[in-house]
Amino acid sequence: MEYIVVAVVALGAAALGTPLLQAVGRRFRAGAYASIAALGIAIVMVAANAAYGGSVSSFGGLLVSDALGDLFALVVLSMSLAVAVVSIYSSPNGPNLPSYYSLLVFSALGMLLLSYSADLLMLFVAWELMSLPTYALAGFDKKRVQSNEAATKYAILGALSSAIILYAMSLTYGVAGTTQISGVVAKLASEPFNPLVSVAILLFVVGFGFKMSIVPFHMWVPDAYEGSPPAVATLFATATKKAGFVAAIRVVLAVATVYALAPNSIFTLANVLAVLAVITMTLGNVAALTQKTMTRLLAYSSIAQAGYILMGFAIFAYSQQTGLYSYNAMLGMTGSLFHIINHAITKGAAFLAAMLVIVQLKRGDLGAYNGLAKRMPVTAFTIAISFLALGGIPPLSGFWSKLLIFVSVINTPLAWLAVAAILNSAFSLGYYFWVIKRMYLDQGESAEKVKEPFGFVVVFAVLVGLIIGIGLFPQPVIAFAHAAASGIFT
Amino acid sequence: MNPTLSILLFLPIVASFPSYILLSRSRTAGIWFTLSVVMAELLLAVYVFYFVYTGFNGLGQSGLGQYALTEQYSWVSVGAFGVSYLVGVDGLSSPLVLATALLTVFAMVGSRRLIHKSEPAYYALILLFEGAIMGVFLSLNLVLFYFFWDLVMIPMFFLIGIWGGDRRKYAAMKFMIFIFTGSMILLLALMAAYMGVTPTTFDIPSLAGKIPASIQYLPLLASFIGFGIKLPVFPLHSWLPDAYTQAPAPVAVLLAGVQSAMGGYGLIRISIGLFPQASHQWAWAFMAVGIVTMFYGAGVAILSKNLRSMFAYTSLAGMGFVVFGSFATVASGSIIGMQGAILEMFVHAFTAGSLFMLAGYIQSGLGTTDISLMNGLRSVVPRMGTLLVFACIGAMALPPFGSFVAEVLVIVGGIHATPYAAVAVLVPVMIGGYMLWMIKRAVLSPASARASGTDLHVVDAAVFALYLVPLIIMMFFSILVLGPAAPVVQHLLQLVSH
Repeated sequence: MEYIVVAVVALGAAALGTPLLQAVGRRFRAGAYASIAALGIAIVMVAANAAYGGSVSSFGGLLVSDALGDLFALVVLSMSLAVAVVSIYSSPNGPNLPSYYSLLVFSALGMLLLSYSADLLMLFVAWELMSLPTYALAGFDKKRVQSNEAATKYAILGALSSAIILYAMSLTYGVAGTTQISGVVAKLASEPFNPLVSVAILLFVVGFGFKMSIVPFHMWVPDAYEGSPPAVATLFATATKKAGFVAAIRVVLAVATVYALAPNSIFTLANVLAVLAVITMTLGNVAALTQKTMTRLLAYSSIAQAGYILMGFAIFAYSQQTGLYSYNAMLGMTGSLFHIINHAITKGAAFLAAMLVIVQLKRGDLGAYNGLAKRMPVTAFTIAISFLALGGIPPLSGFWSKLLIFVSVINTPLAWLAVAAILNSAFSLGYYFWVIKRMYLDQGESAEKVKEPFGFVVVFAVLVGLIIGIGLFPQPVIAFAHAAASGIFT
Repeated sequence: MNPTLSILLFLPIVASFPSYILLSRSRTAGIWFTLSVVMAELLLAVYVFYFVYTGFNGLGQSGLGQYALTEQYSWVSVGAFGVSYLVGVDGLSSPLVLATALLTVFAMVGSRRLIHKSEPAYYALILLFEGAIMGVFLSLNLVLFYFFWDLVMIPMFFLIGIWGGDRRKYAAMKFMIFIFTGSMILLLALMAAYMGVTPTTFDIPSLAGKIPASIQYLPLLASFIGFGIKLPVFPLHSWLPDAYTQAPAPVAVLLAGVQSAMGGYGLIRISIGLFPQASHQWAWAFMAVGIVTMFYGAGVAILSKNLRSMFAYTSLAGMGFVVFGSFATVASGSIIGMQGAILEMFVHAFTAGSLFMLAGYIQSGLGTTDISLMNGLRSVVPRMGTLLVFACIGAMALPPFGSFVAEVLVIVGGIHATPYAAVAVLVPVMIGGYMLWMIKRAVLSPASARASGTDLHVVDAAVFALYLVPLIIMMFFSILVLGPAAPVVQHLLQLVSH
């Protein structure tokens, strides 16, 4: 059965219908509940697709139904749902409210399509469907200067990255004569070395790198995360960022299976990705240490995590070039996909907690976190658990994915990546524990309790439960990530 | 499978939740509940110790290889990647398990007098800490081991940072940064061990002796740094004076007594056990590190103006003995040094534990632990004064305390490796010198007119005296630890010469 089509229809209907519903029943926030329902239906459909092995033929081969798509679709839709739920408490009121949920669901629809894209054109359309609404969402607090700045910066760099991706696609089409990704791969396998393809691969890395927030394409990230409404920043960190990764896997890593960037030289895709990974994690962690506000700290931490995820891609590319270390590549890709799931959950928890602090205390600087454990115990606990998980401390989920990623390179020529990542992990604990120290050891300005709304507490409980649960019993999630990773090896 | 070890491991972790809730409702009920949990834990630990002791000649029949009471379940299994829940106990871990259980009871009794702030969270964290430490000693799978290894730090961070002295936040952060960096570097070694064999595995019994000698060196170094920070050894020790002096006394007891033993245990079980040939090659360097740590600890302790910092550096010197003795055996092939090191870890838990607990009692009774401000303890607070003298004799490694046997064995083991090791005999002499000098100044001096203080309650004094009993038993019946340790050491020596 074509579960994905049902999900697409549900999301499309909600996105188009929300403004209308909202106009009719403004007082009941009907649009919000319709969006939540549609996202819920979409998640159930994707889960059914994963469980019962649905197919998709309605789009003429533009979409492919596989475990990789299921994994990403589940991640991005779940996080969109969490954002939609908490937006009830914090979305800016006013005449534009109907379009807020519409934009959110459109973006979710774009990410869903992107996860299953099997064709470069489909991928680009989905990419834009995902990106364009988020430019508007970033500037949704239109009276706030930072929000405007965030939207402007994000839109300009986003448009640039889209242009780069489109250019890379046109080069690919010029060489391969098709936009079907499997067709491109088959064609390139028989082609002699062509520098145009290498240029296209690098341009893809750059274009997707903007969304993945890889250094040096990360400039927009801290400003956009800080300036956007906090719920939208959560969406950026946990959902649209992941969409960048699925695009990179679908295009760059697929091509990497058959094509070397530059034969017989040090300038290989594996080395490019490895160097990007180290720069990304190092700069992210160093910059995070010096931040004064929570959202910027989370933004840089998010950049650093992208570096760890790239390590799995690097060992995959290395294994494909040399034909060696296929077990390592398998471990690395499983770890990267697993880390993408974990990062969405943990970063989602941290961002939503930071958002609640901003909403309730009206400030987002780190000073607001002093003594938070006494004022907002659930929020503080959520931040502490998610930070420990981001740092890779057992018994939490982040430990397993980092273990898989790090162990995958330890006995290969890329072992220096593991050393760099280990040192980075140790370093990152510095700022994670700095916040935990503020919350639990320092005295706050006041010890008066602050209200923690029920909706937030429920979302926190689910996310913290997932972080600890996956940490103790990782088997099902690792198996899912493993199944998704297996599809990449052809 | 016999679930004894899993109960031993998870009982305190699971009990920490009801303990927290009960303590929030009623202090008395909560404390009795917590105390009964740690007592049950102690009974289990005694059983495990007894089981290993009675069976150490024929352990091969009762468990996996040299390990007894093993339990194995599949935890994660995806493709060729597998992690199993594998626990077991042998002559190396059983004394440490017993020491942990005993010392936790000791710390609990002391906490009743010394801790008055946020008690529910405090006791819950102590229980969590005990379970995590048990996990470290009982795990025979590297991932499980690392799981508990890191878990130990989390309660310790809060125990130092919330209940510690004036500079507690600084001490807690420094502790955290050092220990976590060390454990991350350790993780490199564990991962390299995993990838070093085919088929890949994290199980210690399947890894021992299988890793090719050529790829042992860097992992050995990484693991030595990781364990060396925890022990600690010179020059990785700089977190120690802050953490040991700022932690509340019962927590300092656990830090110095059992947390440092984690490092020594890891060195023997993992550094030497998994990378034996490289350990043999580099044994002289690690022996040097051990001997420098001994002299450094004892030397700095001479200059200490405060009881707690003196005890902290004395504890550091004790850890030097552990490293020195272990690697002396690897270098020489005589089992005496490592046997002494294992005994040293066991008795150090009680010598360091009693010193730090007494420092806590003195702090609360006299309001200071500054040596120059204390005088005439003998007449002002006679019970504390007397116990301090006995605890110091224990730390000086004089008969009738078991620390004497341990240090003699380590030094003799060192002499088997190289005659120059005889200089190590100066370390107990230095420790004896500054301890006696401190006793002269603080205990035996005439009390000044202003001197006043509350003496230890007679019950606490009696409980405290009980903790010197294992030390005296170890003087005369050191075979209780040395016997089960012998096959473990011989097994390691087989791996070294393999």
